[in-house]
Amino acid sequence: MTDFLQYVINGLAKGSVYSLLALGLVVIYRGTGHLNFAQGEMALFATFGTLWMYSQGLQLWAALIITALLSFLGGGVIEFGLMRPAGKKSPLAVVVVAIGLFQGLNALSGLVYKGSADGLHFPSLFPNGTNDFYRIGGTCKGSVCTGGVVWRYQDIGTLVTVLVLTALLFLLFQKTKVGLAMRMVANNPDSAKLVGVSTNRILMMSWGLSSAVGVVGGTVFAGITANINLFLMFQVFLLASAAATLGGLDSPGGAVIGGLSLGVVESLVENYPKHWWFGDYIGQSTAIAVAFVIILAVLLVKPSGLFGSSRVERV
Amino acid sequence: MTLPIAIKSGSTAHQLTRVAAIAAIAAVVYNFYLNGKPSTLGSLTEACILATTAVALNLLLGFNGQISIGHSAFVGLGGFASGYAVNQLHWNPYASFLLAVILCFVIGLVLGLPALRLKGPYLALVTLAVAFVFPTIAGKFLDRKLKRATKINGLRLKPPTWTGLKPTRTDTAVFIYLLAVVLLVVAYVIVRNLRTSRIGRSLVAVRDNETAAAVMGVNLRFTKTITFGVSAAIAGAAGWVSAAYFSTMTVASFTVRDSIVYLLALFLGGAATLTGPIVGAFVYYFLNKYLLDHAKNWTWLPGPLAGGPVAPFLLGVLVISFVFVAPFGLVGFVKAQGRRFFVIAPRPLELAATTPQLVEHSTAAADET
Repeated sequence: MTDFLQYVINGLAKGSVYSLLALGLVVIYRGTGHLNFAQGEMALFATFGTLWMYSQGLQLWAALIITALLSFLGGGVIEFGLMRPAGKKSPLAVVVVAIGLFQGLNALSGLVYKGSADGLHFPSLFPNGTNDFYRIGGTCKGSVCTGGVVWRYQDIGTLVTVLVLTALLFLLFQKTKVGLAMRMVANNPDSAKLVGVSTNRILMMSWGLSSAVGVVGGTVFAGITANINLFLMFQVFLLASAAATLGGLDSPGGAVIGGLSLGVVESLVENYPKHWWFGDYIGQSTAIAVAFVIILAVLLVKPSGLFGSSRVERV
Repeated sequence: MTLPIAIKSGSTAHQLTRVAAIAAIAAVVYNFYLNGKPSTLGSLTEACILATTAVALNLLLGFNGQISIGHSAFVGLGGFASGYAVNQLHWNPYASFLLAVILCFVIGLVLGLPALRLKGPYLALVTLAVAFVFPTIAGKFLDRKLKRATKINGLRLKPPTWTGLKPTRTDTAVFIYLLAVVLLVVAYVIVRNLRTSRIGRSLVAVRDNETAAAVMGVNLRFTKTITFGVSAAIAGAAGWVSAAYFSTMTVASFTVRDSIVYLLALFLGGAATLTGPIVGAFVYYFLNKYLLDHAKNWTWLPGPLAGGPVAPFLLGVLVISFVFVAPFGLVGFVKAQGRRFFVIAPRPLELAATTPQLVEHSTAAADET
């Protein structure tokens, strides 16, 4: 039982990053109906930026806030300069631009940040020494404790950061005028335009938000793995998009639940089947495969995800 | 004479231009057959493999509107399955071709099943997952069966005697090059004939509006799964060629990144055109090769771009700019420019005997309303 709890707790930290990026994907999908394939690479580029600022002597927190603001602007520029004109051409054009961005930004990260191809050490936002953890349960003899569930400050910090950010996003969606406008654009762009909402500005803002959220996710995730390389965010993007799909691409709540549960499933699959006969086939590297099989099963039963709304098409 | 000049479809002039185009391509192929160095032939073979895969992807994405980021898995499956059958089960290398094609066709059909329920980004994600998972599963399989973690040997094909080629390095390269060209041509002809047939029209109808196609009697399930299967089978054939070409294959040769290269090549040439994927693949392959060789020395590039591996970056930028400059790719661009000078006029429809009745009927209906 303690093992189980330990794996769940380990999974929650990564899962919270997946749900954060999934939230970014959902924000864009609701506005435009497109899956942003370049989300991970946009976050990667910005996360390298955070690392660069940190290496120039800035506090990591300060560097993150600056890059998040810059990413907000950058996301808006990408929407305005690339996605919007492409969207006017055809839906396929948006996919092409996103895939081009994916390759271009990844390559650019490799060019701009020296040593990124081999991987660079990444500092953690939270205390991450050998003794920085809470022990839940377990037995103590004097000052030496063993057993129980170990919850690292790093994992707690990640989870709390992400949950706070998610709560803020929900407040934005539900309680502010901008959020209302965003929901209107997601629900019915034409009607939103008719009542005077500037859809273009809202879409730019969605892209900006998504990018800013992405860099926070990237920085926290690189902190967990203590390393950043050119492939880091691709895997995160993959799991984030899987989480968004699981929850339903147009449901922010679904994205959060999807991300957390995917993180937990990943952690459990990585650790549990070691002792089972098929343990050779399932292990660390195939955890994602198992996660995808589960998602495929869910999608076959509910094609628009667990909490997604199925669109009724009028013929 | 006023521009554009109209050429009647099916007229002698039209047929002559076709024959000229085919002759020109055949001459180029033959020239490399006679004079090509093994390295050049190798590059051409790789480009042909990329082109065959792009043709397969075009059938699925361009004509049927189903996006797949998973074709690297089919190419890899074709390659690994044939390599395994030849090296471990001692199959005939040509029989392993059938294995690669049939296996990929069946797996493609299976993957086409979720595609029936999933649309757009959901489907893209599932195929992406397949591509992502494939190297891991293949690696595990090889690890268990061969005690060799990541590699599998190629087919080690030798040219058969009736070709007149000797089993030397040069002649083997020539043979595999010809094999790749032949398979590319076969794939092209299959897609071309499919496109102009009843099935091809139903493919496009499904792409443009599923509901309307279903209402007009197109069997959605059949059309979509079969397209997925055929596309996967062609990709599997490309995988077989790569197994014949490479002496060893690693699981790292077939990753999501390769799937993205197929897509970029397809978009560069022009999706939903017949020759687009082939043109795109050749341009992409040789441009990439050129940039890899030469861009290192381009010190005039700004800032961090100078002296680095800029090839993937520049190709990404190129594909993005193509969306705005030439939305239908190179082929679409050339066609649009060519249309200012030559137009191929379609043959006038021959009116069937039943047509007047239909017309009368419809006017009567119009009068009633």
